[in-house]
Amino acid sequence: MPALGWLPDYEDVGGAAVFSLQGVSKSFGGIKVLTDISLTLQPGQRLGITGANGVGKSTLINIATGFLKPDNGHIQLRERILTNRPAWAFAQAGIRRTFQTTRFLAASTLGEQLLLAARTPACRASLASLLKSSGLQSSLPLFADEIPLPMLRKAEVIRGLAVQPEVLFLDEPSAGLTANELHEFGHFLQQHLPQQTALVVVEHRLDFMTMVTDLVVEMHLNQGLHIGSDGC
Amino acid sequence: MDLYLASVLTNMTLIAFLALSAYLVLVVGEVSFGQQAFFCIGAYLTASVTALAGAHIVWGLLAAILGGAVCALLLGLLTLRLSGLYFAISTLCFAELLRFSLLHIRFTRLIDGREIGPDGPEGFSNIRWIFEHNYAVTDFLLLAASCLIILLGLLFGLQRSHLMLTAHMVGHDPVLAQSQGFSPHRYRLGFIALSGAVAGFGGGLFALFNTHIEPAMFGVMLGVHGLAYAIIGGLGTPLGPLLGVVLDIGLLESIRQLAAYRMIVFGGLVALLLVFRPEGIASPRLVARLRRRWGRRRV
Amino acid sequence: MDVLQTSLDGLMIGSTYALLGLSFALIFGIMRRINLAFGACLLFGAALAIYLEPLLGWGAWGLFFITMAGAALASAYVERLCFAPHSKRSGAVTAMIASFAIWMQLDEISSQLLPQRTHAYQGLELPTLWLGEISVRGDQLLHFGMALVSIILLYILLYKTRLGLLIRATADSPESAYLLGARVPWLGFVVFFLAGILGGVAAFMILSADGHITPLFGLWSTFKGLIAMIIGGVGSLLGAVVGGLILGLVETHAGAALGAEFRDMVTFGLVFLVLVIRPGGLMGVKVYRTDNAAQERV
Repeated sequence: MPALGWLPDYEDVGGAAVFSLQGVSKSFGGIKVLTDISLTLQPGQRLGITGANGVGKSTLINIATGFLKPDNGHIQLRERILTNRPAWAFAQAGIRRTFQTTRFLAASTLGEQLLLAARTPACRASLASLLKSSGLQSSLPLFADEIPLPMLRKAEVIRGLAVQPEVLFLDEPSAGLTANELHEFGHFLQQHLPQQTALVVVEHRLDFMTMVTDLVVEMHLNQGLHIGSDGC
Repeated sequence: MDLYLASVLTNMTLIAFLALSAYLVLVVGEVSFGQQAFFCIGAYLTASVTALAGAHIVWGLLAAILGGAVCALLLGLLTLRLSGLYFAISTLCFAELLRFSLLHIRFTRLIDGREIGPDGPEGFSNIRWIFEHNYAVTDFLLLAASCLIILLGLLFGLQRSHLMLTAHMVGHDPVLAQSQGFSPHRYRLGFIALSGAVAGFGGGLFALFNTHIEPAMFGVMLGVHGLAYAIIGGLGTPLGPLLGVVLDIGLLESIRQLAAYRMIVFGGLVALLLVFRPEGIASPRLVARLRRRWGRRRV
Repeated sequence: MDVLQTSLDGLMIGSTYALLGLSFALIFGIMRRINLAFGACLLFGAALAIYLEPLLGWGAWGLFFITMAGAALASAYVERLCFAPHSKRSGAVTAMIASFAIWMQLDEISSQLLPQRTHAYQGLELPTLWLGEISVRGDQLLHFGMALVSIILLYILLYKTRLGLLIRATADSPESAYLLGARVPWLGFVVFFLAGILGGVAAFMILSADGHITPLFGLWSTFKGLIAMIIGGVGSLLGAVVGGLILGLVETHAGAALGAEFRDMVTFGLVFLVLVIRPGGLMGVKVYRTDNAAQERV
């Protein structure tokens, strides 16, 4: 990257890092939710974040995907600084996410919505191959309220993966799934996640985490968290 | 064709433009009480260009489209932060501000022995282009209706396009749209500008047809009616707003014995209808399911 | 002296705007809904009063009570038909449009009750008070007092009674109020009824001061109430009172300085500016922020 002196300092996070979030804190109306969180991801890294309810796991995911603005801190994807950019810029840059309760439109078929996410021919091709190997094809002409939840969870992941993102965040994918369904979802992830895509799962089902992640860290209330290049 | 019938149909066509413009704003998830402002701008611009400057009707309508779009874009930029109720009220204030300003705009000239131009509360009279060029009422109806059909055809063609589907997504679930990299602001601004263009065009035709316009014609009632038609009809198809127009003007105007009690019946019916079909008659869900049943799939 | 006189007139008118704004703020603060039929409810109450007055012959106080009762009943009707069925969060727009439809309906009923365009609305005959060169109309002073009393009564109801506690709890969070045993749907009905009563008082004050009524009164009072609420701060009750007084002051001063035809323009310009620059109004910034946050919550 050329030296751009007028840009805010950005720390060199070790050449290969794909996503970094440095010194982030956030409080809501005087209540501190996050203090000094740093998170650095290498391409293809699979990270699990766990912790009790209310320690700010969801807040962290919302900040990392741009849906909340941190009070201070710094977020970047490769060389691109995203700190004060809107959420859609995060998504365009290659940071995708899923939601605790799956989000689909009520009045479009699943197929239409997946096509909507994949706009370029390359994305279409990867979408087609994902669909072929996942067994979702029969659900394409259906509406979201006619498709069972395990299928919707997979569809949401496919919607994110179709654009070949740099980082994929999963927000509590176990919500509403039975143990068997969760296990199957884990298999699905193992099979379809591209090598280069970094994955962050926020979740408290440890069996699932050990299945899909290489490293699980636990968040505690108001204790800083440093994950990544500094050897955590 | 019966002259009365022709003028009722023309009025329906003109109000349909307003309803469609309200529909376009609703698609991106906002409610506007101010579409009459763009209708009004279109009317005044067309009147000025054709009667005052003596230009061809095409230029007049083009000016109406551009003027409506630019003003709508301006309003959209000013209210970028606002949504929901706050946006709705600010559009209403914008429209009323415009209307009150028109009360003070006087710019008349003597052309062929007639006072032409905006004249404050008296309005703009003698917009005689269609008479000077020997258009009968039915001819004008044909012109307006074909413009409406072209617009509807355009919207229908785009109905399943990425653009429209994304706009619907922005309207229904802006969070989902953002998570897929679509900027709600851009879609909102674009559609508000588009709605301004459509309303402006309708207003231009209105001025030509009516030959006289005045600020009092463009009150809140006009805009809210357009909005109500779009909501009764539903957002599932561009035909929805038209359905609303036909229901109100067409059906109730034709039963003229009811005229005095028309609003008593219609108001109650609309409120009841919304209890049972809160998303309007042709709601997106209904239309999507019908489309699937008829086997027009794309995937 | 002129400035003082204008300000005093402004405050007198502003007190009625405050009541109108308060009715809107009550509904919006608690249910996050806009009742477009509000003015039409007042118009209906007043039209009913004028229609019944020759039959009953109760004079000005009769008008007062029938106006109030009619407005409250109409408001409760609007709640049942337009707001109760759309109580989910996504129903805000639908409810607003349904209330617009009922506005049309009530408007039409009122104009059937009032066949001529203008009807006399009997006021209270009270002498004008003079303080040096400044004058206050006796009836306006009484109205000001009535507005004050209404506001105090509303305050007592909301802050000193159990019902008020439940209403305020619902305003903060309908879900938790429901868990605490508040019958939220019924509270909605109560709130609309209360708003109708407040509006009825305001309608009587305005109409008897003017001495006549036209069918345009419905639209007019909806506008004044909405504007007072927005200037003061959406959802804040105190804000609505302050907003009403400010609206009265701005109107009379703008009217005096620029002429009557610029008065409404100044008002709408002010509201537009408030919305663009400070959407929460004077005192509703917190409500605005929490609403926005709730909307954007993932």
